[in-house]
Amino acid sequence: MAERERDIQTCCISDTSCQFGLQSVWGTGNQLFLFPGKNPLLSNERRPATGKNEQIREVQWDIDLHHPVLRKMVNDSHNIFVNLQRQATQLTGAAFHTQILNSSRHYRATQKAYLKDLDDMIGSTRDEEQRQQYMEHLKLLNISELIWSLCEILFIESPVGGLVVPKLLDWLKLHFITAGRLFDDLMKEEQPESKTTYWDTIFRLVLQGQIEKACRLLSLHSARQTDDFQTLINLLKRMPQLSNVYKGSSVAEFDMKWRHWRDECQRNYEEQKFSINPNLETVVRILCGEDAVFSEVKDCCDPWYHMLISKALYQDPTVKACDLHYYIQGCQDAYRSTTRLGELDSILLSALESDVYQVIKDSRTVFSNGWFVAHLTDLLHHCGQLDSHRLQFGSDLQREFLLLEYAGSLMSHHSLWIVGVSYLDHCAEFGRKYLELYLDHIPLDSEKKANKILKICEDRNMTEQAKSICKVMGMRCIRNKRLGAALTWFLRSKDVGFATVLAEKYLLEYSESGEFTNLDLIDYLGPSMLLSNRLTFLGKYREFHKLYSEGEYHAAGDLLLALLQARLAPKQFWITLLIDALPLLEKTELIFSSQQTRELMKCLEELTTEYKLGKKRDGLGFTEARKDQLDVLKLALSRNLPKAILQEGTVNLL
Amino acid sequence: MFVTKQIESEHKDLIHDVSFDFYGKRMASCSSDQSVKVWDLGEDGEWKCTATWKTHSGSVFRVTWAHPEFGQVLATCSFDRQAAVWEESFGDVGREGVKSNWIKKSILVDSRTAVTDVKFAPKHLGLQLAICCSDGMVRIYECPDVMNISQWSLQHDIQTKFKCSCLSWNSSRMHPPMIAVGSDDNNPSGGGKCQVFEYNDSTRKWTKVETIVAVTDPVHDVAFAPNLGRSYHLLAIASKELKIISLTPLGRDSVIGNQSVVSRFEMKQVASFTDHESPVWRVSWNVTGTVLSSSGDDGCVRLWKANYLGRWKGISILKGDASQTRQDRNFSANPSQNPAGAVRYIQQAPVHNASHLVRH
Repeated sequence: MAERERDIQTCCISDTSCQFGLQSVWGTGNQLFLFPGKNPLLSNERRPATGKNEQIREVQWDIDLHHPVLRKMVNDSHNIFVNLQRQATQLTGAAFHTQILNSSRHYRATQKAYLKDLDDMIGSTRDEEQRQQYMEHLKLLNISELIWSLCEILFIESPVGGLVVPKLLDWLKLHFITAGRLFDDLMKEEQPESKTTYWDTIFRLVLQGQIEKACRLLSLHSARQTDDFQTLINLLKRMPQLSNVYKGSSVAEFDMKWRHWRDECQRNYEEQKFSINPNLETVVRILCGEDAVFSEVKDCCDPWYHMLISKALYQDPTVKACDLHYYIQGCQDAYRSTTRLGELDSILLSALESDVYQVIKDSRTVFSNGWFVAHLTDLLHHCGQLDSHRLQFGSDLQREFLLLEYAGSLMSHHSLWIVGVSYLDHCAEFGRKYLELYLDHIPLDSEKKANKILKICEDRNMTEQAKSICKVMGMRCIRNKRLGAALTWFLRSKDVGFATVLAEKYLLEYSESGEFTNLDLIDYLGPSMLLSNRLTFLGKYREFHKLYSEGEYHAAGDLLLALLQARLAPKQFWITLLIDALPLLEKTELIFSSQQTRELMKCLEELTTEYKLGKKRDGLGFTEARKDQLDVLKLALSRNLPKAILQEGTVNLL
Repeated sequence: MFVTKQIESEHKDLIHDVSFDFYGKRMASCSSDQSVKVWDLGEDGEWKCTATWKTHSGSVFRVTWAHPEFGQVLATCSFDRQAAVWEESFGDVGREGVKSNWIKKSILVDSRTAVTDVKFAPKHLGLQLAICCSDGMVRIYECPDVMNISQWSLQHDIQTKFKCSCLSWNSSRMHPPMIAVGSDDNNPSGGGKCQVFEYNDSTRKWTKVETIVAVTDPVHDVAFAPNLGRSYHLLAIASKELKIISLTPLGRDSVIGNQSVVSRFEMKQVASFTDHESPVWRVSWNVTGTVLSSSGDDGCVRLWKANYLGRWKGISILKGDASQTRQDRNFSANPSQNPAGAVRYIQQAPVHNASHLVRH
């Protein structure tokens, strides 16, 4: 089988600046941005002013999946897909096979539903261009349903005893409705035989195996009582029906009956019983399965695959699906035209030749969005039609490749990306990597969306991505000066570095303005406070303030000292802490014990020494105001000490 | 089916570079008219220019975004031997039509010749960027404090010994940091025009690990493909032809000096295309590294894709037609290729031979 490659698609961009070349940069998904120009020479060149502003062009392709009408189909088929994957893990054998068949039927149902929606939209839309677009979609969808149903019959259904003709006849009836239509028209007539379409319709009905209707038409003929008519109607009525095979009789039995019947037709024909009426003769010749007659009536079983099925019906109704291809050449020859085989025909041809791979390959060129191939391949994979002996790699790779493509086309859409995620989950080889990459690139439009993506990451243990998203959101909050929100994000991702940075920012704010913002957040830090030392300090410091405002002075004092002693506070903050001790010291009741007072003095000493010796990195000395404050503090401390000692009565004067 | 839309850039001269942020919602463009513009994608799907400023005293060659983890940060490089780092400062947020302000945070002035390319490192390496100049120096700068991006320090400089025109970071996390540098030196005897450097953790130095000798024509652009679980790296090279090279790490078995160990690679030319029939100027990978776009002197942009067996071939061509400028909205196929009366099944996808569509 010659490889039929996809032709290269071309698009033309008109812009006079293109004389300088055309450059491109990728956007998201199937999107390119083009601009005229080429790599600059390394001279500082400027063109003479042309008075024209340059243009950037945004080019998108294969984005029909993003159309609101298709979205419903995307969602429905997603449900079917997920169910099928689940059943694949739970069921095997015949039970699973039934499910596969069901899934296939569901897929077709979604296509039909979409067809109907499109139809409605064509009816209701006024915009001519839109209408054209919908009509194109409609055509494409009809083809897709046609191919899918044939594939279902040939590859998935594996009907009873390998019999395939009955299903094919049904397929014909559904998709080639001319015969039925003509029949209905004729039945309304008084004298149907007077119509030019009379015999045409009968041929069509017979070729489609619609025997009952053919009989009815024949019975309306004025000459029906004549011998030849009666014989024919009789023959038709006694034609063995394939449907009986399903009801219990075996294939061998049927075959025998059928052969007898055909011999009888043959005999009748040879006895020249129908020589008077050439039309009747034609029908009998069809019944006999004579080759030549099919070419004569080829207009009634156009196109070639219709003829193929009709031939199979009358020449070998028990034919197996794998043997159908013997008929192909003959049928195609009958319709030989100068044009090359159409794309649809090629696909059907490949299907009848049981060449699954070619079907998939050709379908990819016909259907520009990956929906059709991705789902069909998945289905075929599950029923074992993609066997690996034809490939160096597993059949799974082919399926995965198509699913990845399909999912990729969904990821750039602002709401369909969730569906894409689900498909990627079912790609065992590369799905996870692709998902990690895509998740990185999904715009974090809102907190809600960010949370959604975070949940997806957390469910799949994608810690890197989760951290990254939190970082981005946190940074955004910081730039918008929403420190509280930023802190929430960093706490969520347990980002120690940034939590520390933020805690410091808070503390800075406090030392500058004397106030905390976002009190709620700090108050309810809870265990996440332990993420970073700074943060712990911040939490505790706030607690100190709370205790103080609630009048719990002792507890406040203890906490303050604990903070200093544990060295939890950054040195820069010691001054603030110590100054905070001042109001506590100035209370009439004793807050700090002598031991505590000594500790405080020690801390103060340490701090001032450091400053004096210039050990502090920022080299800042104390401002005058600060120095005064510290003096007051020293005084307060030295006043507190004797007070404490007295109260405690612990000093041993000896 | 192609759908095109035009964006009036208001650049008065040739646009040299367009770059997108990670999410594809913001765009930066720079031009010979020495200005940089930043665009935002609105809710209505239209691009609006939210900032424009003149900078550098020469053509601005490249503009590139840092990862949003570091905030809204841009870098530009120019003929005037400088590279600059810009950060967005928020004015009144939320007001419609407000223009945001971009502040120059830092200028990197170490170069003595024009800076031809600037690229940020992958985010897992922190906030770093690399610039390359026409005197052959590649410099790598780092900003240690993300909250204060005015402080950049020169971490490494690499003497490549050829005239650099482009560079590309390898974004893979699984491998040590890697940069590919290309040269558009016209001298054919200069050897391979593309070199690959890798950072060695133990020596804390960047060393050359490979020279791609297969490429001897001037290289105008290089790009590593995003690595998606592949065991090998893919590098696209734009030179006289379009080449795609795969580099497979072979394990660290080569020793230089006493201690330092350098990675060795197996290099294979995976694809080479001469379709442009002229020098190829730019190459760019899509987000998953599955489709490559190349633009050449023939005025065309071509798209290339690999099938699941790893064979590359062209899938689309976007042709520039310089004969006229046309306003087009929803412009699909080139009408002259579809003879009237042919029924088209494929939704407006341009086909070369319309006769193989059959009426059903």
